[in-house]
Amino acid sequence: MKKPLAPRVTRAILLTLFSALFVLYVAGPVAWLVSSSLQSEAEITRVPPNWLPQNPSIANFEAIFSAADRVVTYENRRQGEALTSSFLPSGAANLLPAMRNSLVIGLWVAALNLLLSVTAAYAIAVIDFRGRRATLYTVLATRVVPDIALVVPLFLVIRNLGLINSLGALVVTYLAITVPFTIFILISYFEGIPRDLYRAARIDGCGHGRALWHVYLPLSLPALVASLTFAFLTSWNEFVFALVLTQNVAAQTLPIIISGFIMDFTTSFSFVNAAGVIAIIPPVLMAVVFQRYIVSGLTAGAVKG
Amino acid sequence: MTRFGYDERSAALLVFPVLAVLLVVAAFPIIYSFWVSLHDIVLTRPLRRPFVGFDNYLRIFDDARFWTAVARTTVYTLVCVAVTTFLAVLVALLLNEVFPGQRLLSALLLVPWATPSVVNGLMWKWIYDPTYGLLNGLLVQVGLLERYRVWLGDPDITLLLIANAAIWKQMPLAALLMIVTMKAIPEDLYRAARVDGANIWQRFVHVTLPALRPGLMLVLVYETMISIRHFDLFLIMTQGGPGDASFTLSWLIYVETFRSLRFGTGAAMSYVLAITTFALSWAVIRFLGKRI
Repeated sequence: MKKPLAPRVTRAILLTLFSALFVLYVAGPVAWLVSSSLQSEAEITRVPPNWLPQNPSIANFEAIFSAADRVVTYENRRQGEALTSSFLPSGAANLLPAMRNSLVIGLWVAALNLLLSVTAAYAIAVIDFRGRRATLYTVLATRVVPDIALVVPLFLVIRNLGLINSLGALVVTYLAITVPFTIFILISYFEGIPRDLYRAARIDGCGHGRALWHVYLPLSLPALVASLTFAFLTSWNEFVFALVLTQNVAAQTLPIIISGFIMDFTTSFSFVNAAGVIAIIPPVLMAVVFQRYIVSGLTAGAVKG
Repeated sequence: MTRFGYDERSAALLVFPVLAVLLVVAAFPIIYSFWVSLHDIVLTRPLRRPFVGFDNYLRIFDDARFWTAVARTTVYTLVCVAVTTFLAVLVALLLNEVFPGQRLLSALLLVPWATPSVVNGLMWKWIYDPTYGLLNGLLVQVGLLERYRVWLGDPDITLLLIANAAIWKQMPLAALLMIVTMKAIPEDLYRAARVDGANIWQRFVHVTLPALRPGLMLVLVYETMISIRHFDLFLIMTQGGPGDASFTLSWLIYVETFRSLRFGTGAAMSYVLAITTFALSWAVIRFLGKRI
């Protein structure tokens, strides 16, 4: 049955209109950030602003990746002119090491998070043991406390242990953020796997280790991918804990270095924008590539209410 | 069967690592923080840390800055939650339709979600920039604005501008939750409503909205808990200013602890914020759970 023409046209117009608004709202700000990062400092400080770069250049990105080779001394510190965009903020050389820190921490968090969460989620979802509900609630309750409230005591604890500036301390801290949510996702996924498969495995003589490894893990690949992505993104984007728990440049992560640029009035706009674009690329790429897994993972517990 | 059979032993083994980690980085700090909040710990005088009982808590309530912060946080949270939820429902209505390009838009939806909050702050600060920013340029070119404004310097709207940045980032997750809830609505309900002669607006009010309740509640609770504790944007965009226009509770905790180095009162404030958050989400669940 074909609908009459008029409602179909109205529907098409409405959909186009709202789609356009949606794209403008969601992608507009990022597009402007990217456009700014491809302009020179002279171009970016023009009034009215250039919507698109007149002479797109990747000079800012080159500057970021070559900053480590340049030694800034008292004599050559003013050589670069701000307006030709060869000017580099003094902290520019810290960007690449910070990116490395963020990457290393992110990978460790993703791996350890999965290891810890899979085992715990299997136990809570599959094994019928005393204290099962209590364990679940304990795990979830740790996320009720706001991060800013955890920062102070955690700072004191880690300072007393002498672990300020240690990447390991950050990894463990981030696990506290990611693990409860990952367990929550995995439990709802594991509970959807037919119980008969588990019984069959147990009858065939599989212990819990082998039931998890041969039955549950192969069947929950989407949830595992979602967990890995989620943990990496959380760690890559995290700011407050990294701000408080790292105090020297060698240990700082990308968000901290970038926030330093933002608050430094002498930093060139185009350079900061380029740094922002670099920080945005890995998480956005991951989000788009693993879109299906992330969406089903993030909303796993929601349908049941 | 023995008292602790194979199941019990395996479960203990599998759950132990998680509990150990959470004990060290979550449970212990929470308890330790309570101990700190009962002492007058000032980092500039490290050897003197007398026990003061609940004095720190009493001191907070006498502090004018605290009540300012409560007011700012309330306005900010209300705006964030209301607008995020509203936009999320709109976006969900759009993306729940089937049309060419719908998949592309759904992928695009994840971009703000994946953006690091620091870059989010940087991006919007650059958009609001008084001389070179997009907002001034756009509004003046279109003719809506006569001359450039110092957006973040206007105490009347700073909080709203920061909220706008926050909403941009947290709307996608809320929208995803709403889409999932919408997908679960049985098509029959719409067909029945159509047979009864309901128009599109009536179908939305009488079929869609009631069915969205569980998702809506989840979004409201989650957004409240998230918005009330926002911190990153305030540090990057305004540092509590101009004046005290964006002086929220989490910013107050940060200033008290890491600028004034008064760890005792800082911890007490953290406890007040944590308990408030908890009580609020509890109240929302109870209140909405009963009413709708």
